[in-house]
Amino acid sequence: MNLLHRRHLLLGALALPAFVQAQDAPLQVVASFSLLADMVAQVGGPAVQVHALVGPDADAHAFTPAPADAQRLAKAGLIVVNGLGFEGWIDRLVKASGSKAPVLVASSGITLRRVAGHTDPHAWQSLVAAQRYVENIRAALVAALGTTRPAQAAAIDARAKAYTAQLAALDTRVRARLAAIPPAQRRIVTSHDAFGYLADAWGLEMRAAQGWTSAGEPSAADVARLIRQLKAQQARALFVENISDPRLVERIAREAGASVGGTLYSDALSPPGTRADSYLKLMTHNADTLLAALAPAPALAPAAAPTAAPTADNSRR
Amino acid sequence: MSAVAPGAITLENVTLCHRDRPAVHHLSGRFEPGSLTAIVGPNGAGKSTLLAGLMGRIAPSTGRIRLPADGAGHIAYLPQQADIDRGFPVSVADVVMLGHWRRLGAWRAGGAAQRAQALDALAAVGLAGMQRRVIGELSAGQFQRVLFARLLLQDAPVILLDEPFNAVDERTTADLLALLHRWHREGRTVVAVLHDLAMVRAHFPRTLLLAREPIAWGATAEVLLPAHLQRARLQAEHWEAQAPWCAVPDQPAATMRAA
Amino acid sequence: MTVYDALVQPFVEFGFMRRALVACLALGLSCGPVGTLLVLRRMSLAGDAMAHALLPGAAVAFLLVGLSLPAMSLGAFIAALAVAALAGGVARFTAQREDASLAGFYLIALAAGVMLISLRGNSVDLMRVLFGSILAVDDAALLLVAGVASASLLVLALVWRPLLVECFDPNFLRAVGGRGALHHQLFLVLLVANLVAGFQALGTLMAVGLLMLPAIAARCWAHGVGRLSVVAFGIATACGWGGLLLSYHFGLPSGPAIVLLAGGVYLVSLAVGPRDSLRARFITAHRHRTA
Repeated sequence: MNLLHRRHLLLGALALPAFVQAQDAPLQVVASFSLLADMVAQVGGPAVQVHALVGPDADAHAFTPAPADAQRLAKAGLIVVNGLGFEGWIDRLVKASGSKAPVLVASSGITLRRVAGHTDPHAWQSLVAAQRYVENIRAALVAALGTTRPAQAAAIDARAKAYTAQLAALDTRVRARLAAIPPAQRRIVTSHDAFGYLADAWGLEMRAAQGWTSAGEPSAADVARLIRQLKAQQARALFVENISDPRLVERIAREAGASVGGTLYSDALSPPGTRADSYLKLMTHNADTLLAALAPAPALAPAAAPTAAPTADNSRR
Repeated sequence: MSAVAPGAITLENVTLCHRDRPAVHHLSGRFEPGSLTAIVGPNGAGKSTLLAGLMGRIAPSTGRIRLPADGAGHIAYLPQQADIDRGFPVSVADVVMLGHWRRLGAWRAGGAAQRAQALDALAAVGLAGMQRRVIGELSAGQFQRVLFARLLLQDAPVILLDEPFNAVDERTTADLLALLHRWHREGRTVVAVLHDLAMVRAHFPRTLLLAREPIAWGATAEVLLPAHLQRARLQAEHWEAQAPWCAVPDQPAATMRAA
Repeated sequence: MTVYDALVQPFVEFGFMRRALVACLALGLSCGPVGTLLVLRRMSLAGDAMAHALLPGAAVAFLLVGLSLPAMSLGAFIAALAVAALAGGVARFTAQREDASLAGFYLIALAAGVMLISLRGNSVDLMRVLFGSILAVDDAALLLVAGVASASLLVLALVWRPLLVECFDPNFLRAVGGRGALHHQLFLVLLVANLVAGFQALGTLMAVGLLMLPAIAARCWAHGVGRLSVVAFGIATACGWGGLLLSYHFGLPSGPAIVLLAGGVYLVSLAVGPRDSLRARFITAHRHRTA
């Protein structure tokens, strides 16, 4: 009896540090792509350690998982995905990894947008929807940490609140700037299909660049068609990603009386240390670029956000 | 063309080499002003090379070539036809008008007077009316006449001709020989590389018999003796793969050109 | 669609079409004589060699200054000029032929350029920045092409005669004291200037294509160097105009359309041109003069 008691104590004593360690170890979170990962990191802070499956500058549609990814999923405490069909490969990957972690669909609860018969998954482009994302993430993190770490949960709540405030502030500033531009002048022609939520949220009119099929050398017919479209729709700005020659974009825009667009970031953050390496910076940059294209006004003031907006970069990429 | 001040060409111990093989070996002598000289010798004797040296295209390895120093002095040169690209699309008139180069320079266009002189020159060589033909359409003889017409226009005191009667028919040869005589009467120094010894005996008062080394240089009758010709033949046949290096002392090589 | 709609209206409606046509015209003006001379000097492949020779210059400029178009163009010009000068010098002073020396130096330049770029890291947009496209001709590019064309014509007018004589009777030129080597180098400078301007405005394919194909085709229609140049200019302009229309009406990429049209003209010329053609060779003339 005595022996048993002492062995238990010993075991308990030995196990205690490990137990305490386990309590302090950050929660392992795997996010499907860099934008989500940044959001989770902003909300979770030191309590979480986030890894993005699809890193900065990478294409989520072309992602091919590696065994290391499956391992990370298996060891994760929480998995965060966008949903809405954005990650076609995630379900199989999670099942294959055998992970028991809860899966958060960050976009639950937002107002969906349908385009050409299916749902547009790029909901994060709307700052309003993004605030919903943050709320979902907060709830999931708090749930995953359990009741064992109330201090951390409280910190997460606080961070989520602050972050949401930043997003809301940015949204307000952009809307204020946009109010100065009459709706008829908010027309943009773009080859992106990823900015529908952004356009809806901020009242921009985005049309697709018609018939620009090839990524190779364009024909005079393509150029003429695009110019006609720009003129007919009185578009003010042109953002085409798949015309590889920046001089050609400049030429087209100039002839149609539109301004040349810069770079708009849609699906991924830029690499760390560059101008769109966090969600907030990315949205700020997109807003700046759009505003500069629509009206030659100075960029958003750095104001309250600690991740200050870089000055509008209107040059070609 | 009026008679011009004569020019003399002096050679002092001249050697002209292709790499380390002498084509002309220690040649000394003088082309008298106003002389009409033929250069003869077996094939490979260095005749064309000598003309190239006189033109300044090859620098002598030893010795010196002294050219006429008077102000009007320049040398007109008739090359072997192979050096000219006859496929080039220019007309006969274009080629003949080049004879005015010294007067017109590189970009002044010729006036009516110059064109008339060019037509006269064409007529003098028997090609009246051919001025608009393209040179690619001419026969070898006709083209040779065109080059002679150009020489006429150049009006030079020294005229060098490299095998001017190769591949040219008898009538053309006779006509062109008449031109040579006319230049000789005008007091120009004329030097021609030739193969036909009968022609040389008949028309050229002076001859240089060259077979790498000078065999004889002087009045034709004294140069073209059987003994000399025999020596020339032997010299040419004597070609060694491992000939010893030449030990004849040389002076620093220089070519002085008239200002 | 009326003839006007088909042939003229696109240029009236769109500024980029007008600029493209003017660029073709300007390039054709200087490429006419330059291309003709290249063909006559048997340097027809020189244009393509030059396109590769300018790489190390652009690479050095990029390494020193960054992605700046004027700097890279200047670097490219200097590099191509150096290659042309060295090749010309070697050909003149040694027994090497011009085409062999050019090949030697441009290959060295190309490899040096590739090495410089690889050492630095990514090669990406270097060439893209340097080589333009005819639909994207902006004011700066147009000015460059027009300026180079004017300067070329001026220089050519001055040195036309010695340049020609240097081609077909270099001994005569040497005999009369004309500086053949100098004029030849001048010609190479003009060639490089036209090529660099052409690359920048129109891209490599179009620049070299418009330089060579019209001049080559012209030989089936004219004789005499002056007339050849004029015919070459005419063909270049017509192909620019026609190629742009093809691109406009049928959605074909513009650069290849123009060059292929020029190629088509060449093939037709080969077949039925009045001289140096298959027709002249195989279909005998029915009458001839008496003398």
